[in-house]
Amino acid sequence: MIEFSKVKKVYPNGTVALDNVSFYVGDAEFAFIVGASGAGKSTIAKLLLREEKVTAGQLVVNEMHLNDMPDRVVPYYRRQIGMVFQDFRLFPNKTVYENVAFAMQVVGEPARNIRRRVPALLDVVGLSDKLKRFPDELSGGEQQRVALARALANNPKVIIADEPTGNIDPQMSMEIMNLLVKINKNNNKTVLVVTHEKALVDYFQKRVITLSEGHIIGDRIGGMFE
Amino acid sequence: MRGYSFRYFLAEGFKGLWRNGFMSLASVAVLTSCLIVLGAFSTLVANINFNLELIGSVNQIVTFLEPELTDEEILAIRDNILAMDNVSDVKYISKEDAYNSEKEKYSEYPELFAKLENDNPYNASLVVTYVNVDQVPTLQYNLNQIDGIYKISYRSDIAAGIRNFKNTVIFVSLWFLILLLLVSLFVIINTINIAIFSRRQEIGIMRYIGATNWFISVPFIIEGVLIGLISAAIAFVVDWNVYRYIESVIGSDIKFIMVMPFSQLMWMLVGSFAVIGFLCGAIGSLISLQRYMKA
Ligand SMILES: Nc1ncnc2c1ncn2[C@@H]1O[C@H](COP(=O)(O)OP(=O)(O)OP(=O)(O)O)[C@@H](O)[C@H]1O
Ligand SMILES: [Mg+2]
Repeated sequence: MIEFSKVKKVYPNGTVALDNVSFYVGDAEFAFIVGASGAGKSTIAKLLLREEKVTAGQLVVNEMHLNDMPDRVVPYYRRQIGMVFQDFRLFPNKTVYENVAFAMQVVGEPARNIRRRVPALLDVVGLSDKLKRFPDELSGGEQQRVALARALANNPKVIIADEPTGNIDPQMSMEIMNLLVKINKNNNKTVLVVTHEKALVDYFQKRVITLSEGHIIGDRIGGMFE
Repeated sequence: MRGYSFRYFLAEGFKGLWRNGFMSLASVAVLTSCLIVLGAFSTLVANINFNLELIGSVNQIVTFLEPELTDEEILAIRDNILAMDNVSDVKYISKEDAYNSEKEKYSEYPELFAKLENDNPYNASLVVTYVNVDQVPTLQYNLNQIDGIYKISYRSDIAAGIRNFKNTVIFVSLWFLILLLLVSLFVIINTINIAIFSRRQEIGIMRYIGATNWFISVPFIIEGVLIGLISAAIAFVVDWNVYRYIESVIGSDIKFIMVMPFSQLMWMLVGSFAVIGFLCGAIGSLISLQRYMKA
């Protein structure tokens, strides 16, 4: 599903963010990516979104080679990836319902499908009673759940979450993480979670890929935060 | 079936106009002024053409004949003129013809002509239609050489004067227009730039969820087009009312200028305003979008 082969990423200012990074995450697999600040975790997410291009090496997602993907194809590629960010990135002037619906509108989904699917998605994340709220009327955990529902809207094969619990209190963090695990299990989605939260990583006993200064220094199933 | 809702794009376009109120207003004001000036100049030129046509005799020279000429002599003069270079037609207007046509022109004053009936003061004339305006001086000279012609009336001064005026109007208005169109375009580009900039975060999120450049751009293009069409509508209403006002003033006070009925100009104005407004808005938006839609 996701394959990094000897990926190197050098930013225009000369910073080497990733060097010789290789790993493979299979269909319906769940993996944490951990590491100190500046280790290159977000860079992995940006490469996967094709927000940045690799400097050297190969990156293949869902059998698509991101290296030589034309810009014009990128939007269609991104629809196969559900992205969740630390800062939620919801549309502030759209309601909960509209935020999720908009993701479907963007891909030209017919209104009928949107009306049917959005309530179901918001039910999955437990927000059925807050459809008409605006993002600033929700807690951080609730906003992140909206973002998660939105990431699922177009039925992507992969969910990538970059520090999804970074702005959320511990109890809510557990809930978000539980949702991600549930989505992985029940919906057979490949889920990649970048995180700092040692307690959560240790609790779930999933695969853990550890980065340090742009290198992979650990990759263990049932691993612990180190 | 996938489909994009035009209503979404239109609503976003209007929202953009509203959010960006001050700049939208500025764009509309500038483009409207531009179109008003365009309308004023083009209706002026159309009216000049209209009046030139009404004068009609612009490529004609009227030669008045000595009153005592016989019919044979007049015919001979006519053939003589017809044989000259640069002459396409010669038409004979008898004393009676001249009297009748004048009488018709001043039909409001029949008593004036009743007195003249038995003492027709008009002269018979030959109306010479020429081909080339540049060779008129030669023709005039040749006509003057003919015995039996006592006066030549060539309205070159008026016709040429009107033509010069028209050319000046066209010249000035073209430069004015180009300048104003450039300013309008510049203001629209700026307006859309600001619109895009103020929504850059939303645009960023849209990109993450897989929106195409096309989907992101359409609302801004519609915003630009709306600016263009709103300006066109306002400019049309202004020009229309100004025209009607001028028409009422000239129509009642100045007898020798004819004002074209507005209905004959309306579709030209509607069409050119709509097209120019639309293009200005669309091109302005496209230019400013181009910079943002690279990635
Ligand atoms: N756009 C950029 N231009 C230049 N350097 C960058 C850019 N983005 C990241 N970097 C650098 O690349 C390295 C890796 O950054 P990255 O954001 O991937 O780290 P991270 O592991 O996500 O850190 P954190 O846990 O703090 O989010 C850092 O040294 C960072 O300064
Ligand atoms: Mg990061």
